[in-house]
Amino acid sequence: MKAKLTRQTFIAGLAMACLSLGTGAALAQGTAKVGAPAPAFQAVDVEGKTRNLQEFAGKTVILEWTNHDCPYVRKHYNSATMQTLQKDMAKEGIVWLSVISSPEGEQGYVDAATAKELTVKRDAAPAGILLDPNSKVARAYGAQTTPHMYIVDPKGTLAYMGAIDDKPSSSASSLNGARSYVRQAVAEMKAGKPVSQAATKAYGCAVKYAPVS
Amino acid sequence: MTTERMIQTFASGLVRQTVFALALLAPGFAVAAESAAVTSPRVTATLLSSRDTVAPGERFQVALVQKIAKGWHTYWLNPGDSGEATRIEWTLPAGVTAGAIQWPAPKALPVEPLVNFGFENALLLPVEITVPENARPGERLTLQANATWLVCEKICIPEEGAFTLDLPVGPAGIADDAAQARIDAAIAAMPQPAGFRGRLAADGDKLALILPGLNKGLTDLRFFPLSDSLIEHAAPQTPASAADGTTLQLTRSGAFKLEAAEITGVLTFKDGGLPRALSLSADADPALVTAATGDATGVSAAPRPAVLRLLVPAEGANLTLWAALAFAFAGGLILNLMPCVLPVLFIKALGFAQLARASRAEVREQGLLFLCGVVATFLLLAGAVVALGALGTSVGWGFQLQSPPLVIALAVIMTLIGFNLLGAFEFGTSAAGIGDGLASRGGRVGAFMTGVLAVVVATPCTAPFMGAAMGYAVVQPPTVGLAVFMALALGFALPVVALSFAPGLLRLLPKPGRWMVILKQAFAFPMFATAIWLIWVASVQAGPGGVLAALVAVLAAGFIVWLFGVTRGTGGVRFVTSVFAVLVALGAGWFVVQSAVPPATTEARAGDMQAWSPERVAALQAEGRPVFVNFTAAWCITCLANERVALSRQEVKDAFAKLGVVYLKADWTNRNSAIAMALAEQGRAGVPLYLFYPARRDAQAEILPQILTSDMLITAAERAAGRDLKTAANLP
Repeated sequence: MKAKLTRQTFIAGLAMACLSLGTGAALAQGTAKVGAPAPAFQAVDVEGKTRNLQEFAGKTVILEWTNHDCPYVRKHYNSATMQTLQKDMAKEGIVWLSVISSPEGEQGYVDAATAKELTVKRDAAPAGILLDPNSKVARAYGAQTTPHMYIVDPKGTLAYMGAIDDKPSSSASSLNGARSYVRQAVAEMKAGKPVSQAATKAYGCAVKYAPVS
Repeated sequence: MTTERMIQTFASGLVRQTVFALALLAPGFAVAAESAAVTSPRVTATLLSSRDTVAPGERFQVALVQKIAKGWHTYWLNPGDSGEATRIEWTLPAGVTAGAIQWPAPKALPVEPLVNFGFENALLLPVEITVPENARPGERLTLQANATWLVCEKICIPEEGAFTLDLPVGPAGIADDAAQARIDAAIAAMPQPAGFRGRLAADGDKLALILPGLNKGLTDLRFFPLSDSLIEHAAPQTPASAADGTTLQLTRSGAFKLEAAEITGVLTFKDGGLPRALSLSADADPALVTAATGDATGVSAAPRPAVLRLLVPAEGANLTLWAALAFAFAGGLILNLMPCVLPVLFIKALGFAQLARASRAEVREQGLLFLCGVVATFLLLAGAVVALGALGTSVGWGFQLQSPPLVIALAVIMTLIGFNLLGAFEFGTSAAGIGDGLASRGGRVGAFMTGVLAVVVATPCTAPFMGAAMGYAVVQPPTVGLAVFMALALGFALPVVALSFAPGLLRLLPKPGRWMVILKQAFAFPMFATAIWLIWVASVQAGPGGVLAALVAVLAAGFIVWLFGVTRGTGGVRFVTSVFAVLVALGAGWFVVQSAVPPATTEARAGDMQAWSPERVAALQAEGRPVFVNFTAAWCITCLANERVALSRQEVKDAFAKLGVVYLKADWTNRNSAIAMALAEQGRAGVPLYLFYPARRDAQAEILPQILTSDMLITAAERAAGRDLKTAANLP
C-alpha cells in the first residue's frame, strides 16, 4: 500500500515536472483559457490521495483557490456565502475542489489535518481539498487571487475563470446585492447557453506562490 | 500563523479603539490643518488640509496621507493582479463638494509571479474641495472622510479610518504653508497630460500601444491601464521603435474586456535617468471593443474576432423574436420542396384529391391531424435539443444525424417507403398506419403519422432561412426556442393544410387514375436515392462497418415486412411470426449499434481543402492569406448541393488559387464541440455556414448566404483578398 502510494506520488511528481517544463519559464499567467481544455493537474488531497482532473471527466468541476486567513476569503466564509455556494453546487452534482497553494511558512499554508479541521469548523462542503504547497496547480492555472474561481465543464473545457462575484471588496456589506459569477455561469451552462461572462478579473489577496525550484 | 492572526485581531481592535477615541476628542481638539491620525502597525493615516481658514466660493485641496511601514504597500486605482484601491467616502456640509482622488503614478510591485500596482513609503491622495458661495464667515465647515484601504506585504489587511477636518470660514482663505507645500509637491509629481493620443491595436493575440508623440531614448517604459481587464499585468511590455515614435507590446488579459473605444492609464518611464509619468488616453481599434455589456445580455470577455454582417440571411443571435419566427416559418415552407419530403407530401395531396370526392369534412380532419403530427414531432425534436443542451452536449439542428444508428434507421425508413411506393407491400393498419398515410385513403392515425414521417424525412435537410432561426432558438430560453420550432412546424405544415381546406386547389389536380399509380411508383426513386445518400453518410461516420450495418438493417427490415406480408391474418402463426420478427429486429438493432461506431477522430479528407481550427484561421490571416471556411456535414444536403454547384466549380477553384485563398473545411458530420462552439459564435445552430476571412490579422469575417453561387464566391474571394481577379491574373 505504502509502496503504491509512493509510486503514485512519484508519477504525479513526474507528470507535474513535465507540465512545468511544458509551460516554460513564463509561468505567471498559466495556460488556462476559457474555451480551451482546462490545464491538467495532479495534487494530493487532504486524505492523502492523488487526484487529477481526468478522474472527474463527465462532471462539472469547480476549483476554488483559498487561503483561510485572507480577508477576502474570510468575507465569504464568515458570512457562510461560500459554504452555501458549495452545498448548492454539490446538489447540482458539481465537484467542488478547494485548492490551497500557499507554501509552508506563508499565510494560508495548512497541513491536511488543519485543512480538515477548518472544513469542520467552518461547516464547509467541498468535495475535496487539494494541497498544493509547491504552487504547481496555481501556476498551471495562473491563479492570481484568493478566492479565484475556475469552472471546468464535463468535457474538460474551461468554462469560467475569474472572480467569485462582482463586488471586489473585503467588506462584508459588499455581499449585499453581489452577483455571483459562479452561479450565473453554472445556470447558463445548465440551460445550454454560452457563459455570458466567461472570464472576469479575479479579486482578493495575491496567491502566495512558492519560489520556482 | 496563529500568532499572526492574533496580531491582526489585536491590530484591527486597536484601530477601532483609536477611531472611537478620536471621534470623542475631535471637536475639542480641532487641529485645523490636519486631522488626528489613525494608526496601525502598518499605516499611519491623516487627512491634511491646505487651508487653515477657507473663503466662500473657493476651491482648495485636502489630501489623505498614508505613511506606510517598510515592506508594505497600498493600492492604485487598478490594483494589478490582486488587491484593492484606497477609497474615500465623504460626509460634507450642505453645498460643499469633494472631487475625485487625484492619483499619483503607481509603482509596479512584483510578487512573483504576480504584480501589484501601488505605493510604498509615503503617499498623498489629494482631493479638491469646493466651498459654497453662501458659506458665511464665522461658521465652521466639518469635513468627514471615511477611508478604507487594503495594506499588503505578502499578507493583506483591510484597514479603515474616519477623519474629521473642522475648518473656519473667513472673509479670505488662509493657507497652511507647510501643508500647502506638501500637497503642491504631490500634485506637481502627478502624471502630466501626455500631449498626444495613443492608439491601441490588435497585434496577433497581443496588443500594440502606439505612442506617436514619445521621444526616443526613453527607458523603463511601462503602461498602467486604468481598467483591470485590459492586459496581463505581470507580462513584460516590450517597446519597439517605429518611424513615428514608439510601440509598446502588451499581452491581452485572460479576462480581456474593452467596452469603450478609449482607454486611459498612466505611462511611466525614465528620461535621462529621471522618472517621469504621463497620463495617457488612447483610441482603441473598433475591432477590439467587446460590445456593450448590458447586464442582461452579458458579454463574453474572451477575445474573438468580430464578424461583419453583410449578407442575408442575418446570423441568428442578433435576430429579434419576430424576425426569427418569420425566418422559421419561411424555412418550414421551403422545407416542403426538399427532395426527400416532396414525395411524401405529394402523395398525401393526391390522397386528398381522391378523398375530396367522398367527404370534404374528412379531408379537413386529415389536414388538421397531419398538422398535429408535424407539430408534435417538431416539438419533440425541440425538446430533445433543449434537453441535450441542458445536459451540456453541444448540439444543433441535424444533431440527430450525428448518430450513425439514427442515420441507418432513417435509411431503413426511406427504403421501406420506396418499396411501399412501388407497391411491393402494403403496411397493415397495425404497423403504425404509415401505409394509410401514404395510400390514397387513410385513417386518422395514418394522417397523423404522415405528419410525423414528413418531419422525420425532412430532418436531413436545412432550408434557407432556417439556419438563422434555429440559431436564435437554441440560445434563447426554452419557451422562446419552442415558439421558433412551432413557427417552423406551422410553415412546414401549411401547404398540406391549405390544400385540405381549399377544395378549389384540389380541383386543379387531374382526376385520379392510372397516372397516380405511375407517379407514386416514380416517387419511390427519390426515396431510394435518399437511402443511398444516408448509407454513404453512415460510411463517412463509421467506415465500412457502417455500410455493413446499414445494409443488414435494410435486409432485416425487408425480411420482417415480407414475413408479415405472407403470414397475414392467421392467428397462431401470426403470434409466432411477431415474436420472430421482434427477435430479428433486436438482433439487427444490436448489430447496428455494435458496428456503426464513429471512429475516435475524423480525419480531414484529402483534397484541396485543409482541416479547420480557429488557430489555423488566425495563423493564416497573420500570414496575409484570405481564408474561406466551409462548415459542413455529410448529412447536410444543402451543404452538399453548395459543394456540387458552386464550391467544386472549376472557375471557383481557379479564382481561389489565383487569389491565394486557403479553403478550410470544418466537418460536423460527427459531433465536435469546437465546431458547435464556432457555429454558436456566429449565432448558428447548424450547418451550412460559410465564412470569408480577409487577409489581414484579426480582420472580421464575412458571412456568405446559405445558398452559394460561383459568382458570389468569386466576388467574396476578391473582397477578402483585397484585389480583383484581373489584377491577380497578371501576377505570376
